Amino acid sequence: MKPLNQKAERVQQAAAEGQMDEVRAMQTVTAGCATTFDPGWEVDPFGGLAALCQPMEADLYGCSDPCWWPAQVPDIMVNHQNWDEGAPNAAKDWRALGATYPTDAET
Amino acid sequence: MQLQSRGLTAALLISVAGAMPALASEELLQNICSSCHTAEENGLSRISGQRKTPEGWMMTIVRMQQAHGLDISAGDRRAIVQHLADTQGLAPSEAAPYRYALEKDPNAQESFDEPFASMCSRCHTGARGVLQNRTAEEWELHMDFHVGHFPTIEYQALGRDREWYKIARTEIAGYLAERNPLETAAWADWQAADKQPVAGDWVVMTDLPGVGEAYGRLTVSGEASPYQVSGEFMMADGTTHPASGQMNLYTGYEWRANLDIGGTAYRQVLALSEDGNSLQGRQFDRSNDALGAPLSGVREGSGSVILGTVPSAVPAGEAQVQVVGTGLDGLDASAGEATANAFGAALSLAAEGNGAVTFSAGGAQGQIAHYTSVDSLRVEPEFTIARVGGGSEEGPAAVPAYFNAVGMWNGPDGEAGTEDDVRIGRVEAQWTVANAHEHAAHMKDTEFAGEMQSNGIFLPAVAGPNPDRPFSANNAGELTVQAEAMGQQAEAMLIVTVQRFIDPPIR
Repeated sequence: MKPLNQKAERVQQAAAEGQMDEVRAMQTVTAGCATTFDPGWEVDPFGGLAALCQPMEADLYGCSDPCWWPAQVPDIMVNHQNWDEGAPNAAKDWRALGATYPTDAET
Repeated sequence: MQLQSRGLTAALLISVAGAMPALASEELLQNICSSCHTAEENGLSRISGQRKTPEGWMMTIVRMQQAHGLDISAGDRRAIVQHLADTQGLAPSEAAPYRYALEKDPNAQESFDEPFASMCSRCHTGARGVLQNRTAEEWELHMDFHVGHFPTIEYQALGRDREWYKIARTEIAGYLAERNPLETAAWADWQAADKQPVAGDWVVMTDLPGVGEAYGRLTVSGEASPYQVSGEFMMADGTTHPASGQMNLYTGYEWRANLDIGGTAYRQVLALSEDGNSLQGRQFDRSNDALGAPLSGVREGSGSVILGTVPSAVPAGEAQVQVVGTGLDGLDASAGEATANAFGAALSLAAEGNGAVTFSAGGAQGQIAHYTSVDSLRVEPEFTIARVGGGSEEGPAAVPAYFNAVGMWNGPDGEAGTEDDVRIGRVEAQWTVANAHEHAAHMKDTEFAGEMQSNGIFLPAVAGPNPDRPFSANNAGELTVQAEAMGQQAEAMLIVTVQRFIDPPIR
């Protein structure tokens, strides 16, 4: 078999180096990366961090675009459409991602 | 019931943004909001059917700016928040159970019943939901608003496994309409209640994180928001930090102040008691709200009141203790010598061994423990989170975590960790962190997640993917925080997690 993407290539490499114990299927790590709080934004369903997507920037837009963590991360679909301006690649451009609540809006 | 006493608020307000007089509040509300909200029998559409905290109204107006293009100056925005919080706010008793959210207490943990917990507080604090009162129709519209603004709400976890919208409309809206209706006796009573002007002299007690336990005096002057506040905070070693700034008072009791204390900007989110004689809440670093502590206060001249002592406990031997309060002339102490002062009374102690000195004046009572040993130690908080941050101009700053070590005696049963344990007070401790478990050790969390300082403040590491970690993981980590003092050890759990990009006054 020929690996079609980088992930598959790394699995093949792990097998060749006898490190298959390090390879785990996504669904055994997270409880299904398709829900608001599993993983959540701050902690995973088990109250820790081990099952969070890491680094979070790698998959940030995939989840935050459709407002996956609407109270923590700006969604670009409806409420904060320009949040990702100047940051097409979150893993590289994360420094351009700012906080959205205005600092002068204090009571 | 008459909910809005708009005729009473027709005085000119001075805009916070500058010296320009703002329009009378009701006229300002009409001018700014009526281009979208229509006049109805009880006021403007949507707006008239709701009551909220000042923070709640502020968040609403910010949303109008961000989602609907509202153009409004900071001064007009605050004036409208003042008007709405005063005329359509929450009674003290309505806000009381959920003040932790207003105070931004980083250690508060909520527990709400189902289905509210899964339907609402799976995304934001439950407090954010119930720090509001609305008409039944408004609660229904509030459910619709969520679907409109967050259209994936129905296929997220705990959304797609049920008929989310149906439950929201039929169960949650009705539950909230009954639980938090627009019209309540508490609000009617509070509107009708006589309110003592806030101006005057206040004695306060708190903790300045990283600096130490503190007490002070604040003088409030003025007749309307923004009030002027000036005074000083004192440390146990006698160091003085001058304090000055401004305070806005909303709804007759919601105290929101920005003060410079010894060169650091602090914010106070406090509540005046209904009789106007005491203060309770939280004071925190304005640029970093995780660094804060409870603050209590009492109005000078309101009888004999003891707030506590600074320091909260002393090693046995000679010690100078400030009993913080008011009306403490002639303080009667079981040991030592007391002298009344502007902050209560100074107490000179010479106590031996483990024990407590009790004191009283005018019916107020208090005590301070003195110690040569502790039976056990406790880290407070037992669990909290910090966040990586910084590393860029735009992104959120790191959010630290603040720990204290508290000495305990075993109490009559001679066992540690039982209900009769006696809390001595804060003790100096040595701080370290360890990896919380095997995965944390594998990821070397202690090396990457941040640094524990000697003052109990954990400073998280910088944000962003870290190429030095497996998968370029963030500098997140799961740590055990360890305190050691007087031969005893205690632990707490710390999760160092990722940034929060939306950080409104009510999370």
